Amino acid sequence: MSKPAMQLVKLKKTIGKKPIIKGLDFEIQAGEVFGFLGPNGAGKTTTIRMMVGLIDITEGDVLIEGKSIKTDFKNAIQHVGAIVENPEMYPFLSGWKNLQQYARMVEGVTEARMNEVVSLVGLGNAIHEKAGRYSLGMRQRLGIAQALLHRPSILILDEPTNGLDPSGIREIRKYIRNLAEKENVAVIVSSHLLSEIELMCDRIGIIKNGELVAIENVQSVETEESLQEVYIEAEPLAPAKTYLETQLANKIGVTAKELSLSVKREEIPAILKKLVEQGISIYGVRVLQATLEDKFFDLIGENTIE
Amino acid sequence: MNLIWNEQIKLYAQKSTWVMFIVILAIAIGGGFLTKFMGEEADFKEYGDNWQTELQEENAQLIADMEKDEFKEFTNPPIIAENNYHLENNIKPKPYDGWEYVLENSFLSSLISLFTIVVAAGIISNEFKWGTIKLLLIRPISRTKILFSKYASVLIFALTLLIFLLVTSWIVGAILFGLNGLNPSIIQHQSEDFVQNGVFGEIVEAYGLSLVTLVMMATFAFMISAIFRSSGMAIGLAIFLMMAGNAIVAFLAQYEWSKYILFANTNLKQYMDGGVLMNESMTLTFSVVVLLVYFIVFLGAAWTAFTKRDIAGQ
Repeated sequence: MSKPAMQLVKLKKTIGKKPIIKGLDFEIQAGEVFGFLGPNGAGKTTTIRMMVGLIDITEGDVLIEGKSIKTDFKNAIQHVGAIVENPEMYPFLSGWKNLQQYARMVEGVTEARMNEVVSLVGLGNAIHEKAGRYSLGMRQRLGIAQALLHRPSILILDEPTNGLDPSGIREIRKYIRNLAEKENVAVIVSSHLLSEIELMCDRIGIIKNGELVAIENVQSVETEESLQEVYIEAEPLAPAKTYLETQLANKIGVTAKELSLSVKREEIPAILKKLVEQGISIYGVRVLQATLEDKFFDLIGENTIE
Repeated sequence: MNLIWNEQIKLYAQKSTWVMFIVILAIAIGGGFLTKFMGEEADFKEYGDNWQTELQEENAQLIADMEKDEFKEFTNPPIIAENNYHLENNIKPKPYDGWEYVLENSFLSSLISLFTIVVAAGIISNEFKWGTIKLLLIRPISRTKILFSKYASVLIFALTLLIFLLVTSWIVGAILFGLNGLNPSIIQHQSEDFVQNGVFGEIVEAYGLSLVTLVMMATFAFMISAIFRSSGMAIGLAIFLMMAGNAIVAFLAQYEWSKYILFANTNLKQYMDGGVLMNESMTLTFSVVVLLVYFIVFLGAAWTAFTKRDIAGQ
């Protein structure tokens, strides 16, 4: 495996006497979208602020492309593009001039690159309006634009879909996937919305009360050998139920038109075949995906802020 | 350099900055018209070839007035004295001109101090207020550089305002009163005596000395802004100190240590005119050293607060 894009080493933060982050230890690889998930107050933003050097690290370190954010700030941070919390802009400058501010702070950002980024986030002509008149969604886009200006190898987005309309969310999601797959960027996305993260991330780290509770592979959740809830719309219903009960040890439930049962994914075709052989007509089959949500709640339990 | 350029763009993109320039322009023009139409006639009088006789007649008239009017007993003697100085030294009095107007307007530097305080107080704390500080500090640039680009930006702004005041006063003065040559000399009252000075040097001295207070107060506001991240507090404290500074010094003047107070040292003019010193043990060098110490302490505190502290949520 190649060198990780970002590495958290026993990262701790104590404010006063209260430990806020109690030792985070994980890695993010290039080309991967990493979801940083946790309830409000779990320490997501504090961790992100430490990643970009906005706040001091009490103990441990963050290594970006192998460089410590503590001791080698300039060389570490130049690989990072980020939005921390809300994308705040100078309200009295146009979107374009806001971008210029940041373009002047790093070397090698050309006007062509600025245009490229603007069209990438789809701001179009609105870029020349004052940022004070932007909607939250537009500011979010501008925020992403400023984070991408200098072609960072790590992109950190704090709640990136916040305030975007559904089509905007889709676009951003597609765009993030694209960045990771085509340009090999490591993307860290924080959110408290599981459904969001589930759709765009490869791996999810779940944080609760300043501790990493679990790191999950998103794909594994979907293909896991766990039982899935299957609904079969069949006719006639009663004989079908009786038949399946004789064939399977499972408990079969009945609704108005459907049978419900929990089986492994690989068993489904065999069951359907048997039903058809019994002369039972099948009008529809649907599988209820075991979502991450169940897992998420299993892991974090009640959201109690210590 | 780019950083300072960035700061200047942000500064001039705000309407309040332009209001400051407009206020100065308005006062320069308004003040000019006030002086022109409400000022003393005698100031604008153009004397002919036999100006000696004119001045003598004037003096005789002034003395006559003093006998009729008690009030004039106080106002007339200085004018007579000035006329006598002209006569004794054989200098023809010149009418009031644009140069003198520029010199008079140097009192407006306190207004510039005020505006500079407002800008210095806001330049850091506003980044916190807007939330943009987070985006600013995640660039590959050290916090120290960002801090000093902001400080340099404040000084450039103050200098720009001062030059703007000079130029507008000069243009307004030249149009309304005309100019007596390129560097006319003027007669000034100085510790019981009159002296003749080149107006150009006087202007440089007046504006230059005003820079001392200006820079010190701007640095002070800048420090408060960096420490407390609140522009209201920085503006309030700095303006209060600027206004009350002399009163505080006067109040504490009985104590020996009062000479170490910042405001006892900002008025360097006290060493130039040969006037009365606040404290006899004070010298120009002493004041400059005290000022420098304050200056370094202010900047040091601002630097420590800005580079060491966490940028946490609002």
